[in-house]
Amino acid sequence: AERSGGSGGAMQPPAASPGPAAPAGAELLRWQWREVQAPCLVAAWILVASLAKIVFHLSRKVTSVVPESCLLILLGLGLGGIVLAVAKKAEYQLEPNMFFLFLLPPIVLDSGYFMPSRLFFDNIGAILTYAVVGTLWNSFATGTALWGLHRAGLMDPGVEAGLMDFLLFGSLISAVDPVAVLAVFEEVHVNETLFIIVFGESLLNDAVTVVLYKVFNSFVELGPAHIHATDYVKGVASFFLVSLGGTAVGLLFAFLLALITRFTKRVRIIEPLFVFLLAYVAYLAAEMVSLSAILAVTFCGICCKKYVEANISQKSRTTVKYTMKTLASSSETIIFMFLGISAVDTSKWTWDTALVLGTLFFILLFRAVGVVLQTYVLNRFRLIPLDRIDQVVMSYGGLRGAVAFALVILLDREKVKAKDYFVATTIVVVFFTVIVQGLTIKPLVTWLKVKRSDHHKPTLNEELHEHAFDHILAAVEDIVGHHGYHYWRDKWEQFDKKYLSQLLMRKSAYRLRDEIWDVYYKLNIRDAISFVDQGGHVHSAAKLALPSMPSRTSMSESSVTNLLRESGSGACLDLQVIDTVRSRRDKEDAAMHHVLRGSLYKPRRRYKASYSRHFISPDKQERQDKEIFRQNMKRRLETFKSTKHNVCSSKSKARLKEKGRKKAIPLLSQKNISLTKETPNGKTHRNVPWQDAAPVLVMVSSEEEESDSSETEKEDDEGIVFVARATDEVLQGKTTPELCKLPLTVPPSASPGSLDVCPSPCIIPPSPTLAEKELPWKGDQADLAVYVSSETTKIVPVDMQKAWNQSISSLESIASPPGIESGPQHRRFACPVLEEQPQSACQAMPEQSSCFQFPSHISKSGRSQSDSSPEGPEQQELQPLMATEEQGRVPPSGEPRWLMFNRASHL
Amino acid sequence: PGVPQGSAPVTSLLSLAVTSEQIEHLHRRFKQLSQDQLTIRKENFDSIPDLEFNPIRGKIVHAFFDKRNLRQESDGLAEEINFEDFLTIMSYFRPIEMNMDEEQLDRFRKEKLKFLFHMYDSDHDGKITLQEYRNVVEELLSGNPHLEKESARSIADGAMMEAASICVGQMGPDQVYEGITFEDFLKMWQGIDIETKMHVRFLNVDTIAHCY
Repeated sequence: AERSGGSGGAMQPPAASPGPAAPAGAELLRWQWREVQAPCLVAAWILVASLAKIVFHLSRKVTSVVPESCLLILLGLGLGGIVLAVAKKAEYQLEPNMFFLFLLPPIVLDSGYFMPSRLFFDNIGAILTYAVVGTLWNSFATGTALWGLHRAGLMDPGVEAGLMDFLLFGSLISAVDPVAVLAVFEEVHVNETLFIIVFGESLLNDAVTVVLYKVFNSFVELGPAHIHATDYVKGVASFFLVSLGGTAVGLLFAFLLALITRFTKRVRIIEPLFVFLLAYVAYLAAEMVSLSAILAVTFCGICCKKYVEANISQKSRTTVKYTMKTLASSSETIIFMFLGISAVDTSKWTWDTALVLGTLFFILLFRAVGVVLQTYVLNRFRLIPLDRIDQVVMSYGGLRGAVAFALVILLDREKVKAKDYFVATTIVVVFFTVIVQGLTIKPLVTWLKVKRSDHHKPTLNEELHEHAFDHILAAVEDIVGHHGYHYWRDKWEQFDKKYLSQLLMRKSAYRLRDEIWDVYYKLNIRDAISFVDQGGHVHSAAKLALPSMPSRTSMSESSVTNLLRESGSGACLDLQVIDTVRSRRDKEDAAMHHVLRGSLYKPRRRYKASYSRHFISPDKQERQDKEIFRQNMKRRLETFKSTKHNVCSSKSKARLKEKGRKKAIPLLSQKNISLTKETPNGKTHRNVPWQDAAPVLVMVSSEEEESDSSETEKEDDEGIVFVARATDEVLQGKTTPELCKLPLTVPPSASPGSLDVCPSPCIIPPSPTLAEKELPWKGDQADLAVYVSSETTKIVPVDMQKAWNQSISSLESIASPPGIESGPQHRRFACPVLEEQPQSACQAMPEQSSCFQFPSHISKSGRSQSDSSPEGPEQQELQPLMATEEQGRVPPSGEPRWLMFNRASHL
Repeated sequence: PGVPQGSAPVTSLLSLAVTSEQIEHLHRRFKQLSQDQLTIRKENFDSIPDLEFNPIRGKIVHAFFDKRNLRQESDGLAEEINFEDFLTIMSYFRPIEMNMDEEQLDRFRKEKLKFLFHMYDSDHDGKITLQEYRNVVEELLSGNPHLEKESARSIADGAMMEAASICVGQMGPDQVYEGITFEDFLKMWQGIDIETKMHVRFLNVDTIAHCY
């Protein structure tokens, strides 16, 4: 129905209706069903089908046994029956035009775009053989055999058909259908080679089907008397034209698509649109000149993917993926449902038992014979032969589907007298293959013990080895002087690298495009995500616990113990942790540190973001990637570090030294982890002998720097970290018992007065190391071991850290050039603090601890001269979270705290 | 051209895979490479133009002269190889046979992996150390001038860590993973059907395309 109204939806607002042609009275509302009828019906059908899908999947048991396509066909039958009963005539059916123009393209595009291209081209020979020779054989054999059956007088005399009619029918009934194959095989999970052969065949046989169908159709129309020898030649020629032409159209549009996406940097939002639009135009263009449209879209999808994926943004990639899957899936749903609905329309078909049974028998037989014969020939050339079981699955997996149905509906009843018989037979064949074979193929595959696909994520080593393989094989072919498959693949890759990729990919994308790197990058991100996920879990638990934290004891009972249980479960990597028995309180301290760290994570990120606003702000995703990458590397390095420590633990001297250093600024190190790590390990290492031998985290070294400068005052300062909080309570008069529970260690030498009650961390008085053992970073490592237990591996870490820096910088160069600057930047603002320390140690330390308790104004007032340092904003960022932590307690005023703080620092 | 003298043991060695016709072809190729000498030296491989762009060509050519691959008792690097050696190397790339039993397949697989392992283990100590792995990865990635060496290194480090986690699992605190031994190498390859990948079609086809 043509839409007449210019604006408005189904209901036009009253203000818009008074027009010149207004009827007698002004209408308040107008019923415009006719105008929205068509789209409304389409929407309704899609909705019904999608809802049905939800219902099907409510029961796992049903969908695991019955393929979705079967269920949809049955649903269609049911709905068709209802419509038939209500309207007394079958209103809806699968319209060939609609099928070919709207329903088929998304499915083909989806399968082409997500086709594993390497696998596809590795098996292209077999696929082509089955698609071309197999389909030819099937259609001729089926057609002739049926004709024989007819001649033998076994069929109803009403079937008026000659050889040409049967050949025409054979051509449309013998093609394996991509939609049906995909629907069934996706749930079966046979091994990849088998799948790609069956599925590739179903896609590529379209050209053969189209040509045979058209040729025979024209022969039927001409009548057998008027067919000349030249027509046969034309038929053969048109096969090449249709198939190669279709492929060429696909390649052309793939090229265009890749080229266009190269320039969409400023209009990211329409990137996905181009993918769909150009692929669809390719389909239409091929259809327009009656080339094989399926081939066109398939090859467009296969060939453009590499370049398009490299060009478009991550978000667009996701959009493309999901939109494509959604479209394909809904098309498929509608196709199967309408197949069911169409079958109800009895006026269209006439039953003939002999024809139906004969067709069923012949297509199964000839498919099996064809597969066996072709496989026999192919196995002589194939390096991995297809065994008997594979052949059975291939024969049995030859499903027919909607393409056959649409083609048979398209037949002209005037020309093809037996159309109704053919329609009935096609429906039965399609239903039989989809329902019976679809239902039984899964048990069959299990019974035959067909090699299943193992869906494991590619490991880095596998990727590396496969690459090495490709090169080795190409080299051996070169050496032997045999220009085989690997030779040509190698040549193509060189050509692609030299010209095509340069032309079709963005410079930035091209530069970093490398499969190995991609895999590495993805693995890193994946590891990191899982790490962050697991860590995030802990964090969130901690956050939940925070508000309801009136006293430390309750906290320790609820979340902290859980936290510890979790962290305790993992293998403890650190000997130092193992060999001292942790007191409960120390554990709490460690957990508390976790809580704080968890809440400190975000602000840093936010701060980063606002900081880099001065530059081109990087894509959020990229930033996130970077963040994740960093997290990941940090984790790796930390596990690594723990090894390092252990290695060093034998040298007790070095260890003590290190410990002493570490102690100085535990919190700074935690907070600044990402910042300090970027510090190139240059001078920071200066006076630590063992570090030169094998560099460790810079995190450690920054601590050293800190401690180096503040070595003298260390005694006074250390342990201040959480004191601020203690002092609050001191001020409020709740003093000592509470204080003891506070995290962290006030070293005995530094704690006179109220502070000396602190018992737990100071079990062994003079050494700060012991207390430190229990403390955050140690707990941290134990936790890390939990998160990454499978990953915690250690290798001799010659200069991991360098590698880390480098990979970070390379990552940042992906993101945006300014990103690289962040390293030096951070470093710069880490330095002022450090340099100040000698003079104003009492101020520098609070500044570190301020990230936990002190609002920025305190620290600012404490060190007015370093106000300009970028530390300021960060602290402001941190503040909100501090506030949330304090919510549960009596809100303390800044003043007393500051006083206290001063006291503490003067201690 | 007749089959060379050395071919008697070789044919027994390769009887499964290589027909005499193929040996003839290989011999012609051998003579072409060696410029009608009895042996091939490393320099002879420089004359193959297609090999020039192969990023790991050094490693591959090296493998041809590696005595471990030549099934010789001694270790080290051969100066030159004769036709028999050439065939021995080629036999690593033959495809599996339809009628191989499990044991044969296993041996076959190990042989192929050994070849690969030797290629990585350049200092012949039976271990692929991190440094060796890095070298390989660097060479592999050398085809892309935009990827810096550092990223190659971090990739190798990551791969090494992965290897360690696959092979050793959870390591003790002061355990150090020194390198991938052949046993570890086998473990890493468990998921991949090397026998379906490491072969050159030429060695299975009766009709030989003469490309020169």
